[in-house]
Amino acid sequence: MNEQRFQQKWVSRRSLIRGVAGAALGTSLLRPNPAYADQGDDDGRRCRGPLLKPIPGGVVPFTPFGVPVHHNPLNPAVALPDISDPSEVTDFDGFVSLTHIRGGGTGTSTAATMSLAYQADMGFGQGKFIGIDGRQHRGTFAFV
Amino acid sequence: MVEVDDDAVEIDLDAGQARLLVRGLDVYDDHDIANSLTQGLGLPGGLGFPYPAIAPVVPVRAKVSFDVRWSGIVTTAQIENSTQGFKGTFLSTGATIEWSAQQDGFAFQSEPANPSRNLVSVLGHEKNGVFFT
Repeated sequence: MNEQRFQQKWVSRRSLIRGVAGAALGTSLLRPNPAYADQGDDDGRRCRGPLLKPIPGGVVPFTPFGVPVHHNPLNPAVALPDISDPSEVTDFDGFVSLTHIRGGGTGTSTAATMSLAYQADMGFGQGKFIGIDGRQHRGTFAFV
Repeated sequence: MVEVDDDAVEIDLDAGQARLLVRGLDVYDDHDIANSLTQGLGLPGGLGFPYPAIAPVVPVRAKVSFDVRWSGIVTTAQIENSTQGFKGTFLSTGATIEWSAQQDGFAFQSEPANPSRNLVSVLGHEKNGVFFT
């Protein structure tokens, strides 16, 4: 893995673990960070660089302090026909998924073992897209 | 979004099933959602609900693995949303997740996959942006 790829792998994650009074809240949203596709574009050449174009809109949690997140979280109260675009990528044609799950688990530190809770907002996209280079590419991306 | 291998995803839309399996993904643990979304600045407090004071935290490197599975069609819908510019076939499904994380001095292992933990999950095939028209 070259250095560029290494750095790309170090994606930021919000709230992986939040230790508060014995309860952790781990959601799973990446800090906005351009994804890189290297599955090869339509003419067979491997592509490099930040290619994905985010959907317009999304959410800005903790306004005005938070950064915009080009993501429409699922809401259990919203009927399926009324959901917002579940893709984080625009100019996209392919499979998408999202899930909103809560659960529990066990955290182990050097000092203690504790029961923790988490909340995850995750999904994926797989298909073709028009990159910021104006060309068509294919790729698979996780929203973590 | 983070790029993953193509074979990290398995999907059978007709069956309402999909899987996202990733092992050892390098991430930053920002400690809490506020520090992640403010890029480590925390929240100043004094703003009332839902903005509690949250101290700035420096992120640390971690590795996460997760196995997310969608299955069990609840409802289906054909959506064409001209306002947002997307259309496609969508399924509301059940879902489960098992995940773990490791960092210096700390590890987390989720409970086994438990379908009752699902709040809402969606699978679909869609076109948006220039592919919408």
